[in-house]
Amino acid sequence: MDHNEQPILAFQHLSKQFDDQLAINDLSMALYPGMVVGLLGQNGAGKSTLMRCALGIVDVSQGQVSLLGESSGELSSKVKERLGYVPQQPFGYEGFTVEKALQLHRSFYPDWDIKLEQDWLARFELEGKKQVQRLSVGQRQSLALIMAMAYRPKLLILDEPVASLDPIARREFMSDLFDLALDSGSAVLFSSHITSDLERVASHLALMKKGKLVIFKEIDRVREEIRLITLKANQSLPNELLVLNQLGEQLLVDNYHEGIAPLCDAVASVNLEQLFMELHR
Amino acid sequence: MLELLNVNPSSGDPIYRQLSEQIVRLIVGGQLQQQQVLPSVRQIAEHLTVNPMTVSRAIQLLVEQGWLERRRGQPTRVAAREESETTSGAQLLVPQVEALIAQATQLGVSVEELQDVIAKVWHK
Repeated sequence: MDHNEQPILAFQHLSKQFDDQLAINDLSMALYPGMVVGLLGQNGAGKSTLMRCALGIVDVSQGQVSLLGESSGELSSKVKERLGYVPQQPFGYEGFTVEKALQLHRSFYPDWDIKLEQDWLARFELEGKKQVQRLSVGQRQSLALIMAMAYRPKLLILDEPVASLDPIARREFMSDLFDLALDSGSAVLFSSHITSDLERVASHLALMKKGKLVIFKEIDRVREEIRLITLKANQSLPNELLVLNQLGEQLLVDNYHEGIAPLCDAVASVNLEQLFMELHR
Repeated sequence: MLELLNVNPSSGDPIYRQLSEQIVRLIVGGQLQQQQVLPSVRQIAEHLTVNPMTVSRAIQLLVEQGWLERRRGQPTRVAAREESETTSGAQLLVPQVEALIAQATQLGVSVEELQDVIAKVWHK
């Protein structure tokens, strides 16, 4: 990927302190056009806080966050018009019908694509006349997705976006994410606990553990370079290997390559779900 | 040809490699003909619900290896191959056979015993 261009979203040595708790610990990461970054981590690892810092909803304690070249604390309306965000529990527009809510929401975004909105309303089977507060959790989430995506934002941030959608809606929604990332040159940051979805959709994996960014790399490289190994007796750890976790003799390592194999008694590849489990054992 | 493709995201193998190996098998097995036009990256990605960048990467790899060819402004096709460079299906299995032999050696299984097992399982 060509990274000469400006990142859409960049965290530089970001830390966020809540009272006595360090929620984000010296985190650096940059998202470029076309990147779909899957954010994985246990509850409380700092995923939602990271997203809120990115959008300037919470202040940062240390370091910097920039969006389309602007600092997250001082975003201009020009930049805000190009951001999309769906929180874990969408809220707002209670007392409106779906139709009226969309009408109002649309008025904030000059680039709103009415055809896209209509297509998605039909696909999610949302009725325009229905009251927003009477929608099911999944429908409420669908509406929030339409509201965040119908203007093709440059940066889309989704906190557990698909948890309440049925499998078919999830699949279709994922295809929309690709279209957005590739056709509009946008970047997407989304968190999910559904690792199989994440493996399909994401171009990059960002894995957080206790406020730290433990892994950030292309998903194909994650599969090739992260292994569960057991070194031969008396074999010291090769310098290039980064130990992510240790469980007795077994090491979960990053930066693995073929040259390491002769030094090991056992080497196993891991899928995302196994990686997640092994990292937190 | 889309229906011939599938990937398993939860296997430890990178999706681009699952896909590229599958296309090679389809070419060698004759299910994809020389000069046959491949669906677009977008169509393949949509069919499999995987990131199009992953599909691009698989296609790129096969172009580099000479299995596929891409000319400016034209869709990707299966490359034409000389009779002499036709790969046999069995040749493609060399990596798997090597892994099998490594395991057999660790177990102290001889080549004859291994052939015997393969033949038995084959005819089962």
